[in-house]
Amino acid sequence: MTDVRAPESGPSGPPPAERDERGRGGPGRSADPAAGAFGLADWLRWAWRQLTSMRIALILLFLLALASVPGSIVPQESTNPAGVQQYFTAHPALAPWLSRLGLFNVFGAPWFAATYVLLFASLVGCVVPRTFRLVGSARTLPPRAPRHLTRLPRSARYATTLPPDQATEVAARLLAGRGFRLRRPVNGDSDGHWVSAEKGYLREVGNLLFHLALLGVLVAVALGGLFGYKTDRLLVQGTTFADTQSDLDEIYPGRLVTAADYPPFTITLNRFEASYITSGAQRGQPLSFDARISYTAQPGGPTRTDNLQVNRPLSVDGAKVYLIGHGYAPVFKVTDARGQVVYDQATPFISGSSGNFLSEGVVKVSGAQPEQLGFSGVFVPTAVEVNGVLESAFPAADNPAVSLIAYAGNLGLNNGVPQSVYQIDTAGMRQLTAQPQLLLPGQSLKLPDGQGTIAFTGYVPWVSLQITHDPGQIPALICGMAALGGLLLSFMVRRRRVFVRALAGGPAHLGGPEQGSTVQVGGLARTDASGGFDEEFASLAAELRAAHEQAAASQHEGE
Amino acid sequence: MPVNVALGQVSNGFLIAALVIYSLSVVAFAGDFAFGRPRRADSAVRVEQSRERATALATVASAAAAGTASNGSGDGPGDGAGPGAGPGQGAAAAAANSMPEVAPPPLRAIRQAGRWVETGIALSVVAVVAHTAAVVTRGLAVHRAPWGNMYEFVTALTCVAAIFFVFVMVRYRAWALGVFVMGAVVVALGLAETLIYTAAGQLVPALQSYWLSIHVTAMTLATGIFFVAAVLGVVYLVADRYNRRVAAGKAEAGNGIVRRLPSMEQIDRLTYRTVVFGFPIWTFGVIAGAIWADQAWGSYWSWDPVEVWAFITWVLYAAFLHARATAGFRGRRAHYIQLLGFASLMFNIMVVQVFITGLHSYAGVS
Repeated sequence: MTDVRAPESGPSGPPPAERDERGRGGPGRSADPAAGAFGLADWLRWAWRQLTSMRIALILLFLLALASVPGSIVPQESTNPAGVQQYFTAHPALAPWLSRLGLFNVFGAPWFAATYVLLFASLVGCVVPRTFRLVGSARTLPPRAPRHLTRLPRSARYATTLPPDQATEVAARLLAGRGFRLRRPVNGDSDGHWVSAEKGYLREVGNLLFHLALLGVLVAVALGGLFGYKTDRLLVQGTTFADTQSDLDEIYPGRLVTAADYPPFTITLNRFEASYITSGAQRGQPLSFDARISYTAQPGGPTRTDNLQVNRPLSVDGAKVYLIGHGYAPVFKVTDARGQVVYDQATPFISGSSGNFLSEGVVKVSGAQPEQLGFSGVFVPTAVEVNGVLESAFPAADNPAVSLIAYAGNLGLNNGVPQSVYQIDTAGMRQLTAQPQLLLPGQSLKLPDGQGTIAFTGYVPWVSLQITHDPGQIPALICGMAALGGLLLSFMVRRRRVFVRALAGGPAHLGGPEQGSTVQVGGLARTDASGGFDEEFASLAAELRAAHEQAAASQHEGE
Repeated sequence: MPVNVALGQVSNGFLIAALVIYSLSVVAFAGDFAFGRPRRADSAVRVEQSRERATALATVASAAAAGTASNGSGDGPGDGAGPGAGPGQGAAAAAANSMPEVAPPPLRAIRQAGRWVETGIALSVVAVVAHTAAVVTRGLAVHRAPWGNMYEFVTALTCVAAIFFVFVMVRYRAWALGVFVMGAVVVALGLAETLIYTAAGQLVPALQSYWLSIHVTAMTLATGIFFVAAVLGVVYLVADRYNRRVAAGKAEAGNGIVRRLPSMEQIDRLTYRTVVFGFPIWTFGVIAGAIWADQAWGSYWSWDPVEVWAFITWVLYAAFLHARATAGFRGRRAHYIQLLGFASLMFNIMVVQVFITGLHSYAGVS
């Protein structure tokens, strides 16, 4: 960065504030590639200079913004895997290409990584030399006062009866008291009496802190990606699960996570309650969710209870447990042709995004004899019939009902292909009931041909829990706050220089040129993002003048 | 707690009143353009000009004084009396009182600016008070921070923009920009009232968190401030285009609106300072949102569409702040970047939150 010796530019020149802080990449100083004997080292140096120039940094910032756009338009694997599947179904020709380009995982794609790695390389290339310069400028004194202070962007001028040496002494004392770093002429300087003062080094400190903290955020995110994990578990009321790899539904581990990293706690869902707005325009909108759980942090440890709510996760053994969803699990009791009870349990049904918890699910009875039985069904918490179609009028279970279609045959569980527990493969089965059969709690359906019965005995709620562990979380928060602090420092502190010069010879009406002096005050702000240097300089000049008048008056009294 | 319907209606009444008074203030500011005294509306310009004159004077004087000093240095201080008697002395005497001029206090400056400006500012203040009352009564009616859905958000952000601009207008004597900013407030508020009005209601559990107040308050504040910056940016670009057309001989340098605006450099600086004020608030809002997301969704950053666009907005405003310090990007290009940032912010609010399904689907617009 060019040192600010603005006097040469004169008052009509551009203000020295806010000039390009990354001067090194400018066209004037970059090596000319066309020149002869331009070796690899020169090319590398040239490329590095280009990369660390502000212009390239700006372009990389743009690219980063641009590269993020598809991440909000195309469904993403990380946030919306169902949407990705739908996209593949809806656009069978286009989707594989988007997948190849990484557009379903933009924020993990190599080209996205390339953009931010280049940006951060550019940032490092800019920040590191600036840190050295800051350390250097903290060691060196402010520049000498220019000869003609009135040519600075801000200036003042007044006369005092104090001789020049005393005038500069008074000014130096005042400026030092205001926290300025001073420079005075040393013995042997012959350019008169002056004080140079500089203040606001914290601005550059803040600026560097901001950029370094952004690097820190990147590192913290990477830490979470390597050592963190996210798991999902659906938990029916009255049941327990352990946080082990085999007992979790979905696991998204970081790259360096092993099975031993999952803390071995267990959670039981004792009761879940949801309440909803019952009238008005917002009818059906949820008001509160409340999951009462008991948990043990370690096997054999004491059992504690907790009240899990949205916005109120449970911290246990380094992991956090969140309540992220809920639904209904109707309880079915199936008796097969032999009269044996072969199925009696709550079966979680999954609701779509709308429809007041109209939920779908399946019952697979692999132990039924002589044939396996399967049921696909719909659960509605508040059943109403609209034009002959079963729908749900309210999310709470005011009038629960299920509607079932029964199948008999081979469920296909043993042919090696993994099956979803929420879907039934009817390829090897025949439909037993022509129409969906509606059941209310306590009712049962007798299957044709003596295949048995299915009873809808009741329902219980389930919750879906998300268990996460992210070691980068706290570092990310600290770096985020540091970035904000740095930003505020760099915006609120202005780096400014004030010069005072006392010339021998005051005007005639103040005792003439023999005693007294003319005081010139000049000031410039190198950076003045939030403004206010005008006012600061005006009041500082007034204070200097008052200090000089006071010192002159006390001198007269002393005489 | 149930919604207080009567208080909600009081809030609506305040808002309609504010809308009407804002419109009247726009008329007053426009009246200043049409019938006000033909002068550059900004007295700060005069201060700047007088300072330049003073500097020029002082330069002459200091050259003379320096000559005096260097002449005198050889022969002792007594010798300085000779040249001092010459023409240099008058200049030195004049320069002896060259203290930095401070602009007159705002109220006097407003009175000097004329009847139309006075009326416009007075109406703006009254409208801002009514607008604030509308936001506050809405909050009292629903027992929470009144920015829980899109309609409330627009109402609150325009309130922030208006309060902020009234402050800027008085502090920096920028009433010549009042017609544009207040006009934009009227349009935004009118659209909110007619297109996305939502009656006072309660919030879903995910929004029942004090982090909602912190995160959305910061976002509302920053959006209101960026709103003002965007209007200033548009004014800058329009004036810049006009100036370039004049320079190219394609337009006459008439006595039009552009001549009554503050100087290009002043508009530029005002815009920059506005963004500098809003950017840390936006940054804080994103951090607060991450903290809230961590509590509500189990991850502090999950690249939800709204998060993506908040990030894009942040990057673009950061680019604007850097562009002003980069050769070749100052002026017009920097303002294009700034407006792009505001466009991404608006896109986030109006398109992403309404039409793209994500975690942030709370707009309450159907």
